[in-house]
Amino acid sequence: MPVRTPHFPDLLFGPAARLRKWEGALIGLFEAHGYRELHPSLVLRESLPDGALRFFDGDELVALRWDFTVALAGLLARGFPTPPARVAYAGAVFRRPVQPWEAVERFEVGCERIQPEGESSAEADLELARLLMAIPGVLGLKSAILHLGHAALVRRPLEAEGLFGDLADAVVAALSRRAPHRVKEALDGHPSAGRLTAHAEALLSELDGPTTLDALQASPYAELLRDERDHMDRALKALLPILPPNLELRVDLADVAGLGFYTGPTLRLWAPGAQQELAAGGRYDRLFPGLGRPWQAAGFCVRLSRLLDLAETRPDLFEQAQ
Amino acid sequence: MTHRTLLIAFPKGRLGDELVPKLAGTPLALDAEALKSRVLRIPTATPSVAALLLKGADLPRYVAAGVAQLGIVGSDTLDEMDMDLLELADLGFGACRLSLCAQEGVTLEALRAKPHLRLATKFPKATESWLSREGLTAELVPLSSSAELAPLLGLADAIVDLVQTGGTLKAHGLVETFVLGRSSARLVAARGAYLSEPARIRPLADLLLGALKARA
Repeated sequence: MPVRTPHFPDLLFGPAARLRKWEGALIGLFEAHGYRELHPSLVLRESLPDGALRFFDGDELVALRWDFTVALAGLLARGFPTPPARVAYAGAVFRRPVQPWEAVERFEVGCERIQPEGESSAEADLELARLLMAIPGVLGLKSAILHLGHAALVRRPLEAEGLFGDLADAVVAALSRRAPHRVKEALDGHPSAGRLTAHAEALLSELDGPTTLDALQASPYAELLRDERDHMDRALKALLPILPPNLELRVDLADVAGLGFYTGPTLRLWAPGAQQELAAGGRYDRLFPGLGRPWQAAGFCVRLSRLLDLAETRPDLFEQAQ
Repeated sequence: MTHRTLLIAFPKGRLGDELVPKLAGTPLALDAEALKSRVLRIPTATPSVAALLLKGADLPRYVAAGVAQLGIVGSDTLDEMDMDLLELADLGFGACRLSLCAQEGVTLEALRAKPHLRLATKFPKATESWLSREGLTAELVPLSSSAELAPLLGLADAIVDLVQTGGTLKAHGLVETFVLGRSSARLVAARGAYLSEPARIRPLADLLLGALKARA
Protein backbone atom coordinates (compact mmCIF):
# COMPACT_ATOMS: atom_id res chain seq x y z
CA MET A 1 0.00 0.00 0.00
CA PRO A 2 1.53 3.39 -0.87
CA VAL A 3 2.42 5.54 2.11
CA ARG A 4 1.52 9.24 1.93
CA THR A 5 3.93 11.57 3.68
CA PRO A 6 4.83 15.22 3.12
CA HIS A 7 7.14 14.43 0.23
CA PHE A 8 7.64 18.07 -0.74
CA PRO A 9 8.23 19.72 2.64
CA ASP A 10 8.09 23.51 2.77
CA LEU A 11 10.94 25.14 4.69
CA LEU A 12 9.83 27.75 7.20
CA PHE A 13 12.04 30.56 8.52
CA GLY A 14 14.50 28.58 10.64
CA PRO A 15 15.26 25.73 8.20
CA ALA A 16 15.24 28.12 5.22
CA ALA A 17 17.87 30.29 6.91
CA ARG A 18 19.89 27.21 7.88
CA LEU A 19 19.80 25.92 4.30
CA ARG A 20 21.01 29.25 2.93
CA LYS A 21 23.77 29.48 5.55
CA TRP A 22 25.01 25.90 5.09
CA GLU A 23 24.94 26.08 1.28
CA GLY A 24 27.00 29.26 1.39
CA ALA A 25 29.47 27.92 3.95
CA LEU A 26 30.04 24.66 2.07
CA ILE A 27 30.39 26.28 -1.36
CA GLY A 28 32.81 28.73 0.30
CA LEU A 29 34.84 25.79 1.66
CA PHE A 30 34.97 24.15 -1.77
CA GLU A 31 35.94 27.40 -3.50
CA ALA A 32 38.76 27.90 -1.00
CA HIS A 33 40.14 24.54 -2.19
CA GLY A 34 39.92 25.38 -5.88
CA TYR A 35 36.48 23.94 -6.70
CA ARG A 36 34.31 26.07 -9.00
CA GLU A 37 30.54 25.84 -9.01
CA LEU A 38 28.57 24.49 -11.94
CA HIS A 39 24.80 24.52 -12.01
CA PRO A 40 23.27 21.90 -14.32
CA SER A 41 19.69 22.50 -15.45
CA LEU A 42 16.83 21.42 -13.21
CA VAL A 43 15.30 19.60 -16.18
CA LEU A 44 17.06 16.56 -17.64
CA ARG A 45 16.23 15.23 -21.09
CA GLU A 46 18.30 12.05 -21.04
CA SER A 47 19.12 9.19 -18.63
CA LEU A 48 15.67 9.09 -17.07
CA PRO A 49 15.52 6.27 -14.49
CA ASP A 50 12.35 4.93 -12.88
CA GLY A 51 13.00 6.77 -9.63
CA ALA A 52 13.05 10.18 -11.33
CA LEU A 53 10.07 12.56 -11.38
CA ARG A 54 9.18 12.39 -15.05
CA PHE A 55 6.68 14.40 -17.02
CA PHE A 56 5.90 15.38 -20.58
CA ASP A 57 7.16 18.66 -21.98
CA GLY A 58 4.94 18.67 -25.05
CA ASP A 59 5.69 15.30 -26.67
CA GLU A 60 9.06 14.90 -24.98
CA LEU A 61 9.53 12.92 -21.77
CA VAL A 62 11.77 14.84 -19.37
CA ALA A 63 12.66 14.56 -15.68
CA LEU A 64 13.52 16.85 -12.84
CA ARG A 65 17.22 16.68 -11.96
CA TRP A 66 17.50 13.47 -9.95
CA ASP A 67 21.25 13.32 -9.38
CA PHE A 68 23.90 16.02 -9.58
CA THR A 69 26.74 13.68 -10.49
CA VAL A 70 24.91 12.30 -13.51
CA ALA A 71 23.67 15.75 -14.54
CA LEU A 72 27.18 17.20 -14.23
CA ALA A 73 28.73 14.29 -16.10
CA GLY A 74 26.41 14.91 -19.05
CA LEU A 75 27.18 18.62 -18.99
CA LEU A 76 30.96 18.08 -18.78
CA ALA A 77 31.10 15.31 -21.39
CA ARG A 78 29.10 17.43 -23.86
CA GLY A 79 30.77 20.78 -23.29
CA PHE A 80 34.37 20.28 -22.19
CA PRO A 81 37.14 18.78 -24.40
CA THR A 82 39.31 18.47 -21.29
CA PRO A 83 37.76 18.18 -17.84
CA PRO A 84 37.92 20.90 -15.19
CA ALA A 85 39.82 19.30 -12.31
CA ARG A 86 37.47 20.44 -9.56
CA VAL A 87 33.77 21.28 -9.65
CA ALA A 88 31.17 21.96 -6.96
CA TYR A 89 27.38 22.13 -6.99
CA ALA A 90 24.44 23.09 -4.79
CA GLY A 91 20.70 22.79 -5.21
CA ALA A 92 17.78 20.37 -5.10
CA VAL A 93 17.38 16.92 -6.61
CA PHE A 94 14.07 15.10 -6.96
CA ARG A 95 13.83 11.34 -6.44
CA ARG A 96 11.05 8.98 -5.53
CA PRO A 97 11.79 7.80 -1.98
CA VAL A 98 12.98 4.31 -1.14
CA GLN A 99 11.84 4.71 2.46
CA PRO A 100 8.39 6.20 3.05
CA TRP A 101 9.65 8.99 5.31
CA GLU A 102 12.09 10.36 2.74
CA ALA A 103 11.22 13.55 0.90
CA VAL A 104 11.13 13.70 -2.89
CA GLU A 105 12.82 17.09 -2.98
CA ARG A 106 16.27 16.93 -1.39
CA PHE A 107 18.84 19.67 -0.98
CA GLU A 108 22.45 18.78 -1.67
CA VAL A 109 25.87 20.39 -1.86
CA GLY A 110 28.80 18.47 -3.24
CA CYS A 111 32.08 18.43 -5.08
CA GLU A 112 33.77 16.33 -7.72
CA ARG A 113 37.41 15.75 -8.59
CA ILE A 114 37.92 14.82 -12.25
CA GLN A 115 41.15 13.59 -13.81
CA PRO A 116 42.35 12.72 -17.27
CA GLU A 117 43.03 9.05 -17.99
CA GLY A 118 46.22 7.69 -16.46
CA GLU A 119 46.61 10.26 -13.67
CA SER A 120 47.08 8.71 -10.23
CA SER A 121 43.87 8.72 -8.27
CA ALA A 122 45.35 8.19 -4.80
CA GLU A 123 46.08 11.86 -4.10
CA ALA A 124 42.65 12.92 -5.39
CA ASP A 125 41.00 10.39 -3.05
CA LEU A 126 42.95 11.78 -0.11
CA GLU A 127 42.09 15.35 -1.12
CA LEU A 128 38.39 14.49 -1.00
CA ALA A 129 38.70 12.70 2.33
CA ARG A 130 40.50 15.71 3.83
CA LEU A 131 37.77 18.00 2.50
CA LEU A 132 35.02 15.81 3.93
CA MET A 133 36.83 15.81 7.28
CA ALA A 134 36.34 19.60 7.41
CA ILE A 135 32.56 19.41 6.84
CA PRO A 136 31.41 18.64 10.44
CA GLY A 137 33.24 21.74 11.68
CA VAL A 138 31.68 23.92 8.99
CA LEU A 139 28.20 22.63 9.89
CA GLY A 140 28.73 22.99 13.64
CA LEU A 141 28.35 19.29 14.43
CA LYS A 142 29.67 18.44 17.88
CA SER A 143 31.08 15.13 16.70
CA ALA A 144 31.05 12.94 13.63
CA ILE A 145 32.30 9.65 12.26
CA LEU A 146 33.94 9.19 8.88
CA HIS A 147 33.67 5.70 7.42
CA LEU A 148 36.20 4.62 4.82
CA GLY A 149 35.25 1.74 2.55
CA HIS A 150 36.25 0.32 -0.82
CA ALA A 151 33.81 -0.92 -3.44
CA ALA A 152 36.35 -3.34 -4.92
CA LEU A 153 36.45 -5.40 -1.71
CA VAL A 154 33.14 -6.92 -2.76
CA ARG A 155 33.12 -6.29 -6.48
CA ARG A 156 36.42 -8.04 -7.31
CA PRO A 157 35.72 -11.36 -5.50
CA LEU A 158 32.28 -11.50 -7.18
CA GLU A 159 33.85 -10.92 -10.59
CA ALA A 160 36.62 -13.44 -9.86
CA GLU A 161 33.95 -16.06 -9.12
CA GLY A 162 32.03 -15.17 -12.28
CA LEU A 163 29.05 -14.11 -10.19
CA PHE A 164 26.80 -11.56 -11.90
CA GLY A 165 23.09 -10.75 -12.12
CA ASP A 166 20.53 -11.89 -9.55
CA LEU A 167 22.92 -14.07 -7.57
CA ALA A 168 25.49 -11.28 -7.21
CA ASP A 169 22.66 -8.89 -6.26
CA ALA A 170 21.53 -11.33 -3.54
CA VAL A 171 25.07 -11.47 -2.09
CA VAL A 172 25.34 -7.67 -2.13
CA ALA A 173 21.89 -7.33 -0.49
CA ALA A 174 22.96 -9.78 2.23
CA LEU A 175 26.16 -7.80 2.86
CA SER A 176 24.18 -4.59 2.94
CA ARG A 177 22.16 -6.17 5.75
CA ARG A 178 25.43 -7.30 7.36
CA ALA A 179 24.08 -10.81 7.38
CA PRO A 180 26.69 -13.46 6.47
CA HIS A 181 24.07 -16.16 7.08
CA ARG A 182 22.08 -14.63 4.20
CA VAL A 183 25.17 -14.84 1.95
CA LYS A 184 25.33 -18.56 2.74
CA GLU A 185 21.60 -18.97 2.05
CA ALA A 186 21.82 -17.06 -1.25
CA LEU A 187 24.76 -19.15 -2.52
CA ASP A 188 23.49 -22.51 -1.31
CA GLY A 189 24.84 -25.13 -3.76
CA HIS A 190 27.07 -22.69 -5.69
CA PRO A 191 30.76 -23.68 -5.96
CA SER A 192 31.87 -20.32 -4.50
CA ALA A 193 29.53 -20.53 -1.48
CA GLY A 194 32.22 -21.45 1.07
CA ARG A 195 34.74 -18.89 -0.14
CA LEU A 196 32.30 -15.99 -0.45
CA THR A 197 30.69 -16.76 2.93
CA ALA A 198 34.14 -16.75 4.55
CA HIS A 199 34.86 -13.46 2.76
CA ALA A 200 31.58 -11.97 4.03
CA GLU A 201 32.45 -13.04 7.58
CA ALA A 202 35.87 -11.40 7.23
CA LEU A 203 34.37 -8.15 5.93
CA LEU A 204 31.84 -8.06 8.76
CA SER A 205 34.14 -9.16 11.55
CA GLU A 206 35.26 -5.65 12.54
CA LEU A 207 33.75 -2.22 12.17
CA ASP A 208 36.41 -0.09 13.78
CA GLY A 209 39.75 -0.17 15.51
CA PRO A 210 43.30 -0.40 14.21
CA THR A 211 43.03 -4.10 13.39
CA THR A 212 40.10 -3.72 11.00
CA LEU A 213 42.20 -4.06 7.87
CA ASP A 214 43.83 -7.19 9.32
CA ALA A 215 40.42 -8.84 9.09
CA LEU A 216 41.01 -9.08 5.34
CA GLN A 217 43.81 -11.57 6.01
CA ALA A 218 41.15 -14.11 6.97
CA SER A 219 39.50 -13.78 3.57
CA PRO A 220 40.14 -16.35 0.83
CA TYR A 221 40.59 -13.33 -1.46
CA ALA A 222 43.29 -11.64 0.66
CA GLU A 223 45.86 -11.87 -2.13
CA LEU A 224 43.41 -10.67 -4.80
CA LEU A 225 42.64 -7.61 -2.67
CA ARG A 226 46.21 -6.73 -1.71
CA ASP A 227 46.23 -3.46 -3.72
CA GLU A 228 42.95 -2.29 -2.19
CA ARG A 229 44.19 -3.14 1.30
CA ASP A 230 47.43 -1.21 0.71
CA HIS A 231 45.45 1.75 -0.67
CA MET A 232 43.25 1.86 2.47
CA ASP A 233 46.27 1.42 4.72
CA ARG A 234 48.04 4.38 3.10
CA ALA A 235 44.87 6.47 3.39
CA LEU A 236 44.58 5.69 7.10
CA LYS A 237 48.22 6.57 7.70
CA ALA A 238 47.77 9.87 5.86
CA LEU A 239 44.48 10.84 7.51
CA LEU A 240 44.80 9.71 11.13
CA PRO A 241 47.52 12.27 12.07
CA ILE A 242 45.42 15.18 10.78
CA LEU A 243 42.09 14.05 12.18
CA PRO A 244 40.21 17.07 13.62
CA PRO A 245 39.04 16.87 17.22
CA ASN A 246 35.62 15.23 17.61
CA LEU A 247 35.93 13.36 14.30
CA GLU A 248 36.37 9.61 14.44
CA LEU A 249 37.77 7.64 11.52
CA ARG A 250 36.54 4.08 10.99
CA VAL A 251 37.05 1.48 8.33
CA ASP A 252 33.90 -0.17 7.04
CA LEU A 253 34.97 -3.14 4.93
CA ALA A 254 31.39 -4.15 4.15
CA ASP A 255 30.20 -0.85 2.69
CA VAL A 256 28.26 -1.94 -0.39
CA ALA A 257 25.90 1.02 -0.80
CA GLY A 258 26.02 2.18 -4.41
CA LEU A 259 28.17 -0.78 -5.45
CA GLY A 260 26.81 -0.62 -8.98
CA PHE A 261 28.22 2.90 -9.28
CA TYR A 262 31.34 3.11 -7.14
CA THR A 263 34.56 1.49 -8.31
CA GLY A 264 37.07 2.39 -5.57
CA PRO A 265 37.32 4.03 -2.15
CA THR A 266 34.07 5.20 -0.54
CA LEU A 267 33.42 7.82 2.13
CA ARG A 268 30.43 8.20 4.45
CA LEU A 269 29.88 10.77 7.17
CA TRP A 270 27.69 10.04 10.18
CA ALA A 271 26.81 11.86 13.37
CA PRO A 272 26.42 9.73 16.50
CA GLY A 273 22.73 8.90 16.82
CA ALA A 274 21.78 10.13 13.35
CA GLN A 275 19.61 7.62 11.55
CA GLN A 276 21.01 8.34 8.09
CA GLU A 277 24.42 9.21 6.73
CA LEU A 278 24.91 12.94 6.30
CA ALA A 279 27.35 12.84 3.40
CA ALA A 280 28.49 10.11 1.05
CA GLY A 281 30.69 9.63 -1.95
CA GLY A 282 33.55 7.76 -3.50
CA ARG A 283 35.36 6.95 -6.71
CA TYR A 284 33.32 6.17 -9.82
CA ASP A 285 35.70 5.61 -12.70
CA ARG A 286 33.17 4.06 -15.07
CA LEU A 287 30.86 7.06 -15.43
CA PHE A 288 32.78 9.23 -17.89
CA PRO A 289 34.08 6.36 -20.09
CA GLY A 290 30.41 5.40 -20.46
CA LEU A 291 29.83 8.88 -21.90
CA GLY A 292 32.76 8.59 -24.31
CA ARG A 293 35.31 10.46 -22.18
CA PRO A 294 38.40 8.67 -20.79
CA TRP A 295 38.26 10.52 -17.48
CA GLN A 296 38.34 9.27 -13.90
CA ALA A 297 36.27 10.87 -11.18
CA ALA A 298 35.45 10.86 -7.49
CA GLY A 299 33.33 13.10 -5.32
CA PHE A 300 30.95 13.38 -2.42
CA CYS A 301 27.61 14.94 -1.65
CA VAL A 302 26.46 16.53 1.60
CA ARG A 303 22.80 15.72 2.19
CA LEU A 304 21.49 19.00 3.53
CA SER A 305 17.88 17.83 3.82
CA ARG A 306 18.97 15.18 6.33
CA LEU A 307 21.00 17.78 8.21
CA LEU A 308 17.99 20.10 8.33
CA ASP A 309 15.92 17.25 9.80
CA LEU A 310 18.68 16.48 12.28
CA ALA A 311 18.86 20.11 13.41
CA GLU A 312 15.12 19.95 14.18
CA THR A 313 15.04 16.55 15.88
CA ARG A 314 18.48 16.42 17.52
CA PRO A 315 19.65 20.00 18.16
CA ASP A 316 21.87 18.55 20.92
CA LEU A 317 24.17 17.18 18.20
CA PHE A 318 25.13 20.74 17.12
CA GLU A 319 27.49 23.18 18.81
CA GLN A 320 24.89 25.90 19.22
CA ALA A 321 21.16 26.29 18.72
CA GLN A 322 20.73 26.00 14.96
CA MET B 1 12.18 8.47 27.42
CA THR B 2 15.47 10.13 26.47
CA HIS B 3 17.85 9.64 23.57
CA ARG B 4 19.93 7.58 25.96
CA THR B 5 17.21 4.94 26.53
CA LEU B 6 17.78 2.01 24.21
CA LEU B 7 14.69 0.36 22.80
CA ILE B 8 14.38 -3.23 21.59
CA ALA B 9 11.31 -4.13 19.54
CA PHE B 10 9.95 -7.55 20.50
CA PRO B 11 7.24 -9.31 18.52
CA LYS B 12 3.83 -10.12 19.88
CA GLY B 13 2.20 -13.44 19.01
CA ARG B 14 3.86 -16.76 18.24
CA LEU B 15 7.48 -15.51 18.20
CA GLY B 16 6.94 -13.38 21.29
CA ASP B 17 5.46 -16.34 23.15
CA GLU B 18 8.70 -18.24 22.50
CA LEU B 19 10.95 -15.27 23.20
CA VAL B 20 9.69 -13.94 26.54
CA PRO B 21 10.41 -17.14 28.55
CA LYS B 22 13.90 -17.31 27.00
CA LEU B 23 14.71 -13.89 28.44
CA ALA B 24 13.45 -14.65 31.95
CA GLY B 25 16.25 -14.37 34.50
CA THR B 26 18.58 -12.55 32.09
CA PRO B 27 19.55 -8.84 32.14
CA LEU B 28 16.92 -8.30 29.45
CA ALA B 29 14.05 -10.06 31.25
CA LEU B 30 10.80 -8.18 30.75
CA ASP B 31 9.05 -6.73 33.78
CA ALA B 32 6.43 -9.31 34.77
CA GLU B 33 3.91 -6.78 36.13
CA ALA B 34 4.11 -4.61 33.03
CA LEU B 35 3.65 -7.69 30.86
CA LYS B 36 0.35 -8.44 32.60
CA SER B 37 -0.91 -4.93 31.87
CA ARG B 38 -1.91 -3.48 28.52
CA VAL B 39 1.25 -1.36 28.38
CA LEU B 40 3.26 -1.84 25.19
CA ARG B 41 6.50 -0.27 26.43
CA ILE B 42 7.94 -2.66 28.99
CA PRO B 43 10.90 -2.04 31.32
CA THR B 44 13.62 -4.68 31.34
CA ALA B 45 15.94 -5.80 34.12
CA THR B 46 18.50 -3.34 32.70
CA PRO B 47 17.31 0.19 33.55
CA SER B 48 18.65 1.87 30.40
CA VAL B 49 16.91 -0.62 28.11
CA ALA B 50 13.18 -0.90 27.44
CA ALA B 51 11.19 -3.19 25.18
CA LEU B 52 8.43 -2.32 22.74
CA LEU B 53 5.85 -5.01 22.05
CA LEU B 54 4.80 -4.76 18.41
CA LYS B 55 2.96 -6.74 15.78
CA GLY B 56 5.43 -8.49 13.51
CA ALA B 57 4.27 -6.58 10.45
CA ASP B 58 4.90 -3.22 12.17
CA LEU B 59 8.16 -4.10 13.87
CA PRO B 60 10.60 -3.70 10.95
CA ARG B 61 9.31 -0.19 10.32
CA TYR B 62 10.06 0.88 13.91
CA VAL B 63 13.59 -0.46 13.61
CA ALA B 64 14.24 0.85 10.09
CA ALA B 65 13.16 4.32 11.23
CA GLY B 66 15.55 4.10 14.19
CA VAL B 67 12.79 4.40 16.81
CA ALA B 68 13.94 1.06 18.20
CA GLN B 69 17.64 0.32 17.89
CA LEU B 70 17.25 -3.48 17.83
CA GLY B 71 14.42 -5.89 17.15
CA ILE B 72 13.54 -9.54 16.80
CA VAL B 73 11.34 -10.55 13.89
CA GLY B 74 10.70 -13.54 11.65
CA SER B 75 12.68 -13.72 8.41
CA ASP B 76 9.38 -14.26 6.56
CA THR B 77 8.27 -10.77 7.62
CA LEU B 78 11.65 -9.28 6.72
CA ASP B 79 11.55 -10.81 3.26
CA GLU B 80 8.00 -9.63 2.69
CA MET B 81 8.66 -6.03 3.75
CA ASP B 82 12.19 -5.52 2.46
CA MET B 83 12.92 -2.64 4.86
CA ASP B 84 16.35 -1.04 5.07
CA LEU B 85 17.76 -2.53 8.25
CA LEU B 86 20.60 -4.75 9.35
CA GLU B 87 20.12 -8.44 10.10
CA LEU B 88 22.78 -9.30 12.65
CA ALA B 89 21.99 -12.95 13.42
CA ASP B 90 19.79 -15.91 12.70
CA LEU B 91 18.51 -16.73 16.20
CA GLY B 92 17.38 -20.19 15.23
CA PHE B 93 14.13 -20.32 17.20
CA GLY B 94 10.65 -19.79 15.78
CA ALA B 95 11.53 -22.07 12.89
CA CYS B 96 8.72 -22.72 10.44
CA ARG B 97 8.07 -23.36 6.77
CA LEU B 98 6.38 -21.11 4.23
CA SER B 99 4.26 -23.63 2.38
CA LEU B 100 1.67 -24.04 -0.31
CA CYS B 101 -1.25 -25.80 1.38
CA ALA B 102 -4.39 -27.24 -0.13
CA GLN B 103 -7.22 -29.56 0.84
CA GLU B 104 -6.21 -33.18 1.29
CA GLY B 105 -6.14 -34.96 -2.07
CA VAL B 106 -5.35 -31.82 -4.09
CA THR B 107 -1.86 -32.24 -5.53
CA LEU B 108 0.66 -29.67 -6.71
CA GLU B 109 0.17 -30.98 -10.26
CA ALA B 110 -3.57 -30.42 -9.99
CA LEU B 111 -3.00 -26.86 -8.85
CA ARG B 112 -0.47 -26.26 -11.64
CA ALA B 113 -3.01 -27.49 -14.21
CA LYS B 114 -5.71 -25.04 -13.14
CA PRO B 115 -6.33 -22.42 -15.85
CA HIS B 116 -7.19 -19.85 -13.16
CA LEU B 117 -5.36 -20.59 -9.95
CA ARG B 118 -6.33 -18.55 -6.91
CA LEU B 119 -3.97 -18.41 -3.93
CA ALA B 120 -4.84 -16.74 -0.64
CA THR B 121 -1.89 -15.47 1.36
CA LYS B 122 -0.43 -13.05 3.85
CA PHE B 123 2.83 -13.29 1.89
CA PRO B 124 2.19 -11.89 -1.60
CA LYS B 125 5.82 -11.04 -2.31
CA ALA B 126 7.18 -14.49 -1.49
CA THR B 127 4.26 -16.08 -3.36
CA GLU B 128 4.81 -13.94 -6.47
CA SER B 129 8.50 -14.76 -6.37
CA TRP B 130 7.76 -18.51 -6.23
CA LEU B 131 5.17 -18.27 -9.01
CA SER B 132 7.71 -16.45 -11.16
CA ARG B 133 10.36 -19.11 -10.53
CA GLU B 134 7.86 -21.85 -11.41
CA GLY B 135 6.62 -20.04 -14.52
CA LEU B 136 3.07 -19.98 -13.14
CA THR B 137 0.47 -17.25 -12.96
CA ALA B 138 -2.21 -16.96 -10.29
CA GLU B 139 -4.71 -14.58 -8.82
CA LEU B 140 -3.49 -13.61 -5.36
CA VAL B 141 -6.12 -13.11 -2.68
CA PRO B 142 -4.54 -10.92 0.03
CA LEU B 143 -5.52 -11.88 3.58
CA SER B 144 -4.19 -10.75 6.94
CA SER B 145 -5.33 -13.67 9.09
CA SER B 146 -7.15 -17.05 9.17
CA ALA B 147 -5.98 -17.97 5.67
CA GLU B 148 -6.87 -21.63 6.39
CA LEU B 149 -10.55 -20.82 5.85
CA ALA B 150 -10.04 -19.65 2.27
CA PRO B 151 -9.85 -23.08 0.52
CA LEU B 152 -12.67 -24.47 2.66
CA LEU B 153 -15.08 -21.68 1.75
CA GLY B 154 -14.13 -21.38 -1.92
CA LEU B 155 -12.26 -18.07 -1.63
CA ALA B 156 -9.12 -19.67 -3.04
CA ASP B 157 -7.83 -23.01 -4.40
CA ALA B 158 -4.93 -23.08 -1.95
CA ILE B 159 -3.03 -20.92 0.50
CA VAL B 160 0.59 -19.91 1.03
CA ASP B 161 1.14 -19.65 4.76
CA LEU B 162 3.54 -20.35 7.61
CA VAL B 163 3.45 -23.88 9.00
CA GLN B 164 5.11 -24.76 12.28
CA THR B 165 3.59 -28.00 13.58
CA GLY B 166 0.85 -28.46 10.99
CA GLY B 167 -1.81 -28.65 13.71
CA THR B 168 -3.92 -25.76 12.38
CA LEU B 169 -3.73 -27.13 8.85
CA LYS B 170 -4.84 -30.56 10.01
CA ALA B 171 -7.75 -29.08 11.96
CA HIS B 172 -8.98 -27.55 8.69
CA GLY B 173 -8.37 -30.60 6.49
CA LEU B 174 -5.40 -29.01 4.72
CA VAL B 175 -1.97 -30.48 3.89
CA GLU B 176 1.34 -29.02 2.73
CA THR B 177 1.83 -29.62 -0.96
CA PHE B 178 5.07 -27.69 -1.46
CA VAL B 179 7.60 -25.89 0.77
CA LEU B 180 8.47 -22.47 -0.67
CA GLY B 181 10.98 -21.48 2.01
CA ARG B 182 11.94 -21.51 5.66
CA SER B 183 11.73 -18.85 8.31
CA SER B 184 13.26 -18.26 11.73
CA ALA B 185 13.69 -15.39 14.19
CA ARG B 186 16.33 -12.82 13.27
CA LEU B 187 18.03 -10.13 15.31
CA VAL B 188 17.73 -6.87 13.38
CA ALA B 189 19.28 -3.46 14.00
CA ALA B 190 18.64 0.10 12.85
CA ARG B 191 21.28 0.87 10.22
CA GLY B 192 21.89 4.39 11.49
CA ALA B 193 22.16 3.43 15.15
CA TYR B 194 24.46 0.49 14.45
CA LEU B 195 26.80 2.40 12.15
CA SER B 196 26.86 5.70 14.01
CA GLU B 197 26.88 4.42 17.59
CA PRO B 198 28.45 0.97 17.55
CA ALA B 199 29.80 1.43 21.06
CA ARG B 200 26.21 1.63 22.38
CA ILE B 201 24.45 -0.80 20.07
CA ARG B 202 26.90 -3.68 19.67
CA PRO B 203 27.17 -4.41 23.42
CA LEU B 204 23.37 -4.47 23.61
CA ALA B 205 23.20 -6.86 20.64
CA ASP B 206 25.84 -9.05 22.31
CA LEU B 207 23.88 -8.94 25.57
CA LEU B 208 20.72 -10.06 23.79
CA LEU B 209 22.53 -12.80 21.88
CA GLY B 210 24.21 -13.95 25.08
CA ALA B 211 20.89 -14.05 26.95
CA LEU B 212 19.26 -16.12 24.22
CA LYS B 213 22.27 -18.41 23.86
CA ALA B 214 22.33 -19.09 27.60
CA ARG B 215 18.73 -20.30 27.39
CA ALA B 216 19.15 -22.27 24.17
